[in-house]
Amino acid sequence: MARNDKKKSAYVEKKLPLRTLIYRDRYLLIMMVPVIIFFAIFCYFPMTGLIMAFNRYKIGSGLLGVYNSPFVGTKWFSQFFGSVYFYRLVRNTFLLQFWSLIIGFPIPILFAVAVTQIRRKPIQKTVQVTTYLPYFISTVVVCGMINNFLSPSGGIINQMLNKLGIESINFMNLPQWFRPIYVISGSWQSFGFNSIIFVAAIMGISPDLHEAMRVDGANRRQIIWHLILPSIRPTIILLLIMTLGSMMSVGFEKVYLLYNTAVYETADVIQTYVYRQGIGSSPPNYSFATAVGLFNSVINFAIVFVANRISRRVTDTAIW
Amino acid sequence: MKKKILSMLLATSMVAAALTGCGGGQTPAQAPADTTQTEAPATENKTEKVDADIEQAQAVAEDSGYVYEGTAPITQEAGKSIKILAETSNYTNVDIANAEIVKKVVADSGVAVDWQLVDYNNYQDTVTPMLSTGQADADIILLPDQDTNQVYIKSGLFQPLNQYFGSMPNFTKWLHDNPVMKAELTAEDGNIYYVPGTNVGKDYQPCLMYNVVWLEKAGMKAPETLDDFVALLQYYKDNDMNDNGDKNDEIPMSIMADFLPYMFGPAFGLDLVSGFQADADGNVTYAYADSENYKKYLEFLNGLYKDGLLEVEYTSLDRDKVIERISNDLTGVAYDFSWAMSMMYSNVLPYYDGTADKAFVGAAPLSGDSKGFYVGRVELGNMFAISTNAQDPELCAKFLDYAMSDACQELYQWGIEGESYQVNADGSREFTEKGKDNDWLQQFGINPSFVFPAQQSVASTDVLVADWHAKSNADLRQYVVDPWPFIYSTDAETDTINTYMTDIQTKVDESAAAFITGTRPMTEFDAYIGELDALHLPEVLEIRKQQYARYKKALNG
Repeated sequence: MARNDKKKSAYVEKKLPLRTLIYRDRYLLIMMVPVIIFFAIFCYFPMTGLIMAFNRYKIGSGLLGVYNSPFVGTKWFSQFFGSVYFYRLVRNTFLLQFWSLIIGFPIPILFAVAVTQIRRKPIQKTVQVTTYLPYFISTVVVCGMINNFLSPSGGIINQMLNKLGIESINFMNLPQWFRPIYVISGSWQSFGFNSIIFVAAIMGISPDLHEAMRVDGANRRQIIWHLILPSIRPTIILLLIMTLGSMMSVGFEKVYLLYNTAVYETADVIQTYVYRQGIGSSPPNYSFATAVGLFNSVINFAIVFVANRISRRVTDTAIW
Repeated sequence: MKKKILSMLLATSMVAAALTGCGGGQTPAQAPADTTQTEAPATENKTEKVDADIEQAQAVAEDSGYVYEGTAPITQEAGKSIKILAETSNYTNVDIANAEIVKKVVADSGVAVDWQLVDYNNYQDTVTPMLSTGQADADIILLPDQDTNQVYIKSGLFQPLNQYFGSMPNFTKWLHDNPVMKAELTAEDGNIYYVPGTNVGKDYQPCLMYNVVWLEKAGMKAPETLDDFVALLQYYKDNDMNDNGDKNDEIPMSIMADFLPYMFGPAFGLDLVSGFQADADGNVTYAYADSENYKKYLEFLNGLYKDGLLEVEYTSLDRDKVIERISNDLTGVAYDFSWAMSMMYSNVLPYYDGTADKAFVGAAPLSGDSKGFYVGRVELGNMFAISTNAQDPELCAKFLDYAMSDACQELYQWGIEGESYQVNADGSREFTEKGKDNDWLQQFGINPSFVFPAQQSVASTDVLVADWHAKSNADLRQYVVDPWPFIYSTDAETDTINTYMTDIQTKVDESAAAFITGTRPMTEFDAYIGELDALHLPEVLEIRKQQYARYKKALNG
C-alpha cells in the first residue's frame, strides 16, 4: 500500500515543471543554501589540498604553496609503502579497529535491548546515565586509569590476580596485551553512549506491535527476536557501514598515550607513525602526512563502498 | 510572508556563522622571497662572510642624528612600536608581558611592544603551522624550534641579520666572544639569521642522585663503578631500607626509560643521548650501532632486569610515579634533570630537613670499561628572528640587540636592585627576602627567555637552589662533556635524514626494549646491526660525518 502511495506521489511530481517545483519548495531550498555553502567551503574546497600529497610543500609558502610547491609525483607514497614498517602499521591499524568492531559494535545493541526491557523507569534511567558517564571522561584520564589499574606494582588488577595465586602480569609492556587492553577499555568507555541511538530506535517501535505480539502469546525472547531486532535492523546496518568507514582510522591520542617502545610490535599504528615521521619531525613534512591521510581515506572509502553494496544485496538496506 | 522572512533570516545567519571561521584576522603575509635560488655558495670558512660583514658594519644615524650604540634608548623617535610573537611563561600564574623586568626593558628601549603571546605548552604546535603557512603577523618572532634544517631561513621568512650588524653592537661583540656559537649560527649562505638566548651548557645537567639516608644505612659511599652500583642496588633490594618492617617494598632505583642511556651509556663509552658522537680524531659513529660497546650496554641492562634491579615496568614509568615513590620513601636511586634534585625529589622526602644529609644528592657518573661522564646541553637556546614582513627591520635589529645587552642580561638574571636583589659590601649579590620566594621572583619576570634572548646564569641559579644543591652542581661540572654540536643541514641532507631516521629510531627504540627485557635474545644483536644497515643507517651516518667536518672547518677555519 505504502509503495503504491510512493509511486503515485512520484508520478504526480514528475508531471510538475521544474520551475513550479522550485517555486513550491523555495523556502526549503533557501534553507538548503547554507548547507551547500558549508559543505563547499569546509568539505569540498579543502579536498583540493590533496594535491599536497603529490608535491613538496614549501614551508612558509602559505595557502598558495599548497598548489604551487614543486611536484614530486608519488614520492611520499613510495616512502610510506617502502617503509620496512608499512605492513606492520597497516596490520596493527586494521586489527585494532577490527577487534573494536567485533567486540565493541554488538555490545551497545545488546545493552540497548536489555535496558529497554527494564520496567522500572528510575532503574532504567540510572543504568543508562551510569553507562554514559565513561564516555565523557577525557582520553588522557582514561589512559592514566588504565596504567594505574594494570600496573604490576600495586595495580588493582594485578593485586586481584595475586590473591588468586597468579603472578603479576606486566600488561603495558607485553605486546600481546595491547590489543585486548585497547579494545576492552574502548568498549567500556563508549558502549553506553553508543547505545543511545539503538535505544531511540527501539523506543520508536509502535506499541501496537508489542501489544499485538503479546496478544498472540509471544514471550519476551520472542518479542526481542521477532520484533525488536528486525525493527532496528536498518539502524544497525547504517551504523555498521558508517563504522566500517573508519576502519583505518584509529584514534591517535589513545594509542599514543598507551603505547611504549616495548609494544610497538602490536601498538604502532599508521597515525602514530605519521606523527613521528610527518608532524613530529623538524621541519614538519605536511606533504607526507597528507599522502598517508589520502591513502587512509581511499581504503576507508573502498571498505564503505563494498560494505554498502554487500548490504544492499544481502539485506536490501543501504546508505545510497 | 512571515515564513519567507524567517527562512531568509535563518539562511543568512547560518551563512554568516559558517563563514565566521574564514575571517582574515591577519593581513595576508607578503610572499616570502625565495632565497633558495639566490643562495651564495657555501664558503670554505663559513664565518668568513659574517666576520667581514661585522668588520664593515657601520652604525646608522636616525633623522634626528641619534646613533644607537648598544645602550638604551634604541631610538629617540616617538611613537615607534614593534610586534613580537613569543610564548607565555611556563608558570601559569605569571603574566610575562606585564612582569616588572620585561616592562623595564621595553620602557628603557624607547619603543612600545605589541605582544602576541602563545601558550608555552602549545607554542610549537601553534606557531609551526603559522610559519609554515606564512601567516605569522609579527616583526620579531620566537622560533618554535631551532631550525636546524634551515627550513625557515630558506623559505625567506626571516631577514639576514648581517645587513644590520651596524645597529647591533652587543650582538656582534657576543658573536666575537663566542666563536663556537657564531659558527653554529652561521647558515649555509654565510649569513646569521637568529639572535639566540643561551642555556648553561655544563651546569645543572641531568645526573645520578642518591638518597643519602639510604646510602648511610647501607654503610656505602656513592658508587663510582658499575660493579659497586649493582652491589648497592642488591643491598637495597634485600634490606628494609625504609624501616617499615617490609623488606619487599623497596624499589632499588626508579629511572624513567628515557634516562637509561644518560645513566649507563657513558660507562660503555657511548653518548647515547646525542646518538651520534665523534672521537678525538673526529671519527663520527652512531652509538646505537656500536657492535661492541652497545652490545655490552644492553647485556648489562638485561642483567639488571633479570635480577629485578631494573623494574619490570621501567618503560612506562613516569616522573609522577617516581615522585610518589620518593615521597613514600620507597626508592634509593633516581636520575633526572639537576633541578629536580632539590626542587622536586628531596623536598618530598618525608625526612628532608633542608640539608644534604637527608636529601637526594647528585653524584659522579658511573664508570665501566670507560670513564663515566655526563652529557651537556647545546648552549644555543630560544632563537629570535626578524620577519621579512617587519615594518622597520632596522628598529627590530636594534631592539633585539638591546635585549641581549649586558645591562639587560643583568636584569634577566638578577632583576632590579633593591627590589629583587641587593649588592653586599664585598660586591657580591644576593636575592632579597622577596627575591628568595620563587613564585614572586617568577612573577617579577626573572629569566624571561620566553620573550627575550636571555642568557642563563650559573651564579643567579646557584642562589635560587639550596646551598648543597649548588655545591653538588659545582662538583659535577667536571664530568660534563659537550654534546653533539648544533649543525645546520642542507636541503639534501634534511631530505635523507627525514626519510630514514624515523625508521632507524623506531628500530633502535623497540630493539632496546626487547633486548633489555629479554623478549629478543642477545644472540640476535648482530642481526639488529644488519637491520640498521638495511634501514640506510650508513647513508645517514655519512651525512653526519660531512656535517661534523663542516662544523670543525667553520670552527677552526
